Amino acid sequence: MKKNIILLFLLMPVVFYGQKFSTRTGTVKFEATVPSFEEVAAQNKSVSAALDASGGEVAVLALMKGFRFKVALMEEHFNESYAETDKFPKATFKGKIEGLDITKLNATGQVFTITGDLTLHGKTKKITDRVVVTRSGNTITITGSFKVKPADFGIEIPKVVSSKIAETVTIEYNLPLNKQ
Amino acid sequence: MAKYGNRRVVIVVILLFIITGGYLLYNNYLYKDARNIAGEQPAFTVNATQLLAEYQEGTGAATAKYLNKTLAVQGKVTSVNDSLVIIDSAVFCAFTGIKEVYVDETITVKGRCIGYDEIFGEVKLDQCTLTN
Repeated sequence: MKKNIILLFLLMPVVFYGQKFSTRTGTVKFEATVPSFEEVAAQNKSVSAALDASGGEVAVLALMKGFRFKVALMEEHFNESYAETDKFPKATFKGKIEGLDITKLNATGQVFTITGDLTLHGKTKKITDRVVVTRSGNTITITGSFKVKPADFGIEIPKVVSSKIAETVTIEYNLPLNKQ
Repeated sequence: MAKYGNRRVVIVVILLFIITGGYLLYNNYLYKDARNIAGEQPAFTVNATQLLAEYQEGTGAATAKYLNKTLAVQGKVTSVNDSLVIIDSAVFCAFTGIKEVYVDETITVKGRCIGYDEIFGEVKLDQCTLTN
């Protein structure tokens, strides 16, 4: 009983102030296809994300093993040689959506600026890009895309295959966040 | 005449080698099938809460032990939503096919461990199937 009361007090700020939105099933896709070569793309459909609506803080976590490729060998190379996912099992983004006011959101969407730190392959890089935020009922959806260079994260692509993998990788995300 | 016959046989044999070799390379290496988690024997059988506890005690050790391995995880269903099932509020399972799972049911899920999710404090499995 005492434990329950303590728990209630701990949860109070969440109930009253913290408008938390989150998802376990966000999607992150990346594509590094070079025209006229085989598609180099992968998708992760179980990305976790949380948004603190009052401050616009966003946290995203993608488990690297969750990226699936169409070609099994490509997936193996990604895991073993490039992203080294045994050593670096996750990619995270911690940032902020500037000027987010959830009461003014609508279903058609508004464009905001998102800034934050992307950590991947053990390296962190600052990302600033545009983000589209829509709201319908208790779901806030954050979508957008940005470009990164594998080299910035210390991912080396051997010369033999470098002509088949784009120098800049496009990362697309879609995070439908539900009210907690 | 016999000499030419032999040469032809050798050429045919070499060609067959190249063709089958190429075929095997194409199928088993370049375009080999992805792992079939549903068909694999689980490397570990654990309770959902125990698996989570191991990750929370030492992520490094648990990662080395479980990451990318096929696990059989037991526990009580605490949440069901589309293709995902959460067991004991500890393990998140993303299913591949159809599943008949209900809240409060005790189940065993076979899936591939993809790591620990700090945002929700859960261990994630993908390519899950029901084993009982």
